[in-house]
Amino acid sequence: MAETIHDVIIIGAGPAGLGAGLYTARDRLDTLILEKFMPGGQINNTDRIENYPGFEKIDGPGLIENMHKQVESFGARIQSGADVDRLERLDNGHLAVHTGKDTYVARAVILAPGSSYRKLGVPGEDEFRNAGAGVSYCGTCDAPFFREKAVVSVGGGNTALEETLHLAKYASKVTLIHRRDEFRAEKVLVEELLAKANEPNSNLVIRYDTVATAIEGKGKVQSVKLRNVKTNEGESYPCDGVFIFVGMVPNTDFLKGFVELTDVGFIKCDCAYLRTSVPGVFAAGDCRIGAAMQLVTAVADGVNAAMQLKQYFRDPAWWNMPVSDMLSPGGW
Amino acid sequence: MAAGKTIDVTDADFATEVLESDVPVVVDFWAPWCGPCRMAGPVLEKVADEYDGRAKVCKVNIDDERQVATQYGIMSIPTLFVFDDGQLVDQITGITPNFEADLKKKLDAALATK
Repeated sequence: MAETIHDVIIIGAGPAGLGAGLYTARDRLDTLILEKFMPGGQINNTDRIENYPGFEKIDGPGLIENMHKQVESFGARIQSGADVDRLERLDNGHLAVHTGKDTYVARAVILAPGSSYRKLGVPGEDEFRNAGAGVSYCGTCDAPFFREKAVVSVGGGNTALEETLHLAKYASKVTLIHRRDEFRAEKVLVEELLAKANEPNSNLVIRYDTVATAIEGKGKVQSVKLRNVKTNEGESYPCDGVFIFVGMVPNTDFLKGFVELTDVGFIKCDCAYLRTSVPGVFAAGDCRIGAAMQLVTAVADGVNAAMQLKQYFRDPAWWNMPVSDMLSPGGW
Repeated sequence: MAAGKTIDVTDADFATEVLESDVPVVVDFWAPWCGPCRMAGPVLEKVADEYDGRAKVCKVNIDDERQVATQYGIMSIPTLFVFDDGQLVDQITGITPNFEADLKKKLDAALATK
């Protein structure tokens, strides 16, 4: 068993984890941040952030690099390549965090594991993805491989629209498939998308009320089966690649049996103070119920958890106090 | 070979480093502008260290080494190939949820044939 007892271990060094770490480190709490890959998570995949207050436009990796340096400058330690596979609450109330070969112990844990792309769940998807044969979940990564080729993108949220616009810079034709007749993405993005689609001879085509039901081809993607949900008409639509942006799923498999999760894997917590079913364990960011899945709200969650943690350290009984008894802002 | 580190491979030395290797080789096709590729970096360094002497981890920057990437028809990055005795035996496309475990499993499978 590890000898050092950290004040707090934060699992995940994305916006939520780094937001938390900034505040705990500035409180001079011994802070260890464990990160499966390298700091950033999903936000590393975007070169275009326009909704982080105070920054007109910033790229994900750049923002994360700043956060990373800032958090470390106050004394938090970030360990990359640390894949947490199990947690347990010890008899003395401390929390043990296990990676493949190491165990770390802390007085409190902030879970900030983030989320990953959701699969479409249609025949052909896994097969072509695993073979690297034309199914992608990252437009910024793979758009350059589809220069002068026809691609289909699927989705209707911010990511789908941003990535579709990015793809249109490379592909000869991009067809955006959306299951509804309006997009849930920010209106600013919708306007930009529609303006692009309405240009004369635009290479961007939008198909509303349409779902993709299968991905087909011999050895590589050659077409997508589409179905109009209103008319029920189907067709085989030729393309060289399929880009899927249909939402996110929380990275919480490793927490099964430790904290309470919803059926689809979100961590259950009270959304005011972010307390989970296990005393001393908070949830922050995309992983929790009710998450807005935004960069700003992830950071805010991390900060909130870091603030609430102090109440728990002052009085462990605070953990079980109903939110309604504590409604004065700022706690104590 | 550099002990326990990843090795940058070029179009020119791909055959000697990868295809003619005595031990199984993981080849990572990546680019500096690809977020998930850079995220995989620390994991690949760790795997290179843990499998030191038994296997090696090579990296191909597809911006600079276009010939190899084209030859293998890379359409997604990161793509990780596992080579054994010059043969492509397995692959991973993108960062999978259990990336480190998945990669080690494929490498262990190649090692088990030795």
